[in-house]
Amino acid sequence: MVGGRRFGERVLRLYLPLGFFLVAMLFPFYWMAITSIKPNRELYSAKIMPLIVHQPTLQHYVDLLEQTNFLTWTYNTILVAVVTTVVSLVLGAMIAYPLARLNFPGAAVVAIGVAATYLVPQPLLFIPMSDVINRLGLSNTLSAVMLTYPTLLIPFCAWLLMGYFKSVPRELEEAARIDGASRFQAMLRVVLPLCTPGLLSAGIFAFTLAQNEFLYALIFLTKSDVRTVPVGAITELIRGDVFYWGQLMAAALLGSIPVALIYSFFVDYYVASLTAGSVKN
Amino acid sequence: MTTRRDFLTVSLVATGAALAPRLAGAAGKATTKSLTTVRESSFIKAFDDYFVKTLAPEYEKLTGIKVGYEAVSVGGMLTRLTTMAETKSGPEIVHTGINWPHLFDQSLVDVSDLAGEVGRKLGGWHEQVQEVVVVNKKWKALPWGNIGQLEVYRTDWFKEVGVTKFPETWEDLLAAGRLLKKKGHPFGFEIGHGFGDNHGWMYPLLWSYGGREVDRDGKTVLIDSSETAKAVDFCRRFYQETMLEDVLGWTDVNNNKAFLGEQISCTNNASSILVVAKRDFPEIAKVTDHALNPNGPKGRYHVLNAQGLGIMTYAPDQAAAKAFLRWLYDDKQMSRWLTAGDAYYAPFLHGYDNHPMWNAEPRYMPYKESLKTSRPHAWPGPVGHAASENVAKYVLVDMFAKACRGDATKDVIATAAAQLKQIYKAK
Repeated sequence: MVGGRRFGERVLRLYLPLGFFLVAMLFPFYWMAITSIKPNRELYSAKIMPLIVHQPTLQHYVDLLEQTNFLTWTYNTILVAVVTTVVSLVLGAMIAYPLARLNFPGAAVVAIGVAATYLVPQPLLFIPMSDVINRLGLSNTLSAVMLTYPTLLIPFCAWLLMGYFKSVPRELEEAARIDGASRFQAMLRVVLPLCTPGLLSAGIFAFTLAQNEFLYALIFLTKSDVRTVPVGAITELIRGDVFYWGQLMAAALLGSIPVALIYSFFVDYYVASLTAGSVKN
Repeated sequence: MTTRRDFLTVSLVATGAALAPRLAGAAGKATTKSLTTVRESSFIKAFDDYFVKTLAPEYEKLTGIKVGYEAVSVGGMLTRLTTMAETKSGPEIVHTGINWPHLFDQSLVDVSDLAGEVGRKLGGWHEQVQEVVVVNKKWKALPWGNIGQLEVYRTDWFKEVGVTKFPETWEDLLAAGRLLKKKGHPFGFEIGHGFGDNHGWMYPLLWSYGGREVDRDGKTVLIDSSETAKAVDFCRRFYQETMLEDVLGWTDVNNNKAFLGEQISCTNNASSILVVAKRDFPEIAKVTDHALNPNGPKGRYHVLNAQGLGIMTYAPDQAAAKAFLRWLYDDKQMSRWLTAGDAYYAPFLHGYDNHPMWNAEPRYMPYKESLKTSRPHAWPGPVGHAASENVAKYVLVDMFAKACRGDATKDVIATAAAQLKQIYKAK
């Protein structure tokens, strides 16, 4: 039995560490949730116990939805995150596969180049990138970030997927080729299904990165109705030295729901793929 | 077969077609259809709303020109302005603050003619604002108001310890603070790496003791002086004897929260604390007041943070942008806009010294009075890139903070002097 046979052993070795991690992981969400339903009087008072809500209110949610474009920002964020994730996964896989599986001159250099591209900091890129976006006439359109986010995400996905592609035995692919599959079919039907955990990991990380990205969104999306949640919330809910904590936390909590849903949808499949073998059911 | 007549006809049509876009372009330039203004979102939402919902539609109705408004998050305006200046694209009219007209001199249109007109109509400009908006004798922005940093305090708690009028000098404030801390009402002045409430009282403290960072020439570092040492020694006592310990890690948000949470009795801030108190904490608002920064041995000072509007040089129709600013800075519009701002911005035009907006809330009056003694960051040094680097690296804040932490006065001054020499490339 996991943790030991006796109840005491299990408490000490299993439930206590598990409880500790559970509290550590969930505390930020708890804090967001209670802050979003506290009236301002409770939020500001140092005399009131901060971990409990005494007079809960939904006013911050009402203000967030009525006084800001939060629903539009959420729609924009999800649209941008989905499009950029799909584009980045497809193109990332197309880069990663040849670099991992085909022996061609310069493959190692290109692989290092991909990793190096991912490491270039955004503050170095945003001005030239902004120039390109302006020349294309894409300022203040979601296309601006849909085009620029993949510049970060494709190298990231490719780098992550290369490792997964390398872990699939060549013999499986060679067997498929002997059976008459083309290289593309072998990749599509043999390698990619075995790399599902990698694709899911890359997809989830890419989605989260696209959803949270701040600098490009700040520069390229300056009108309220095209903003994403991170930029919209910061712009309209922080004014001078006053933070609208309740609304900010409400926005953060609602904004984290899409990622939580995606994780919960894919987590079983992800774990199942991770533990599945390639030659055994 | 093509006749000569056919050839001429075809040639004329082709020439006309080739010229049409240019002619249309020229006509388009003369009839600009829209302008865009970019601004850091105001603390006073009504100030932004009045521009968007009232002033912009009025201008459109009057001229047919639609005036767009882009709000940038607090702290994001400098990034946006840098991008606009580097890529030479974006909104035509831009928000400026602190010393930005000096930083973006090359990207801003000379608006001296407009400044002259507005000044003549509205009683003239306050002299000190010119230091931050006039670059090489050219006005690079039209200021609309100052965001002052003053003392914000609890009148009821001060009365509890027998202080009925806000102390006139730093030493008197220290004495009051000692009593208040004993009563459980400490002070809370930001000494951390925030964006305004730290320099907002530290520069005035240094200046009022006669200390200066750098001379007007921008090459002579003056920080290592007995005056600075006195200011540092005072700051250490002020922190140790009157304040909450955690102010060393505070940013601009913390003192607002601590004041409204009734943890502190005095801080240095803009009028935002009172504005929020009136909205959410009316009983605290009743016992909150503002006062000028205290006097030191060498006078009384405040920090200048002039907010203005400038025109980017890449604007395709600069005349249209100027025409809009001329209309906006006309008393008929500016007066209403400032009133919508709830006296948060103290205007730099003498014509507004006795504006009715000051009557609605007398407790904002010190913000107007503070203009006379306001100086730009790093004064009397030049208001350029080095001043920005100096402020961004928190040289002054860290000097005072390290002293509060317990470091020796001469050591913290020596560190600051070395940093300043490097920043100003001084010997």
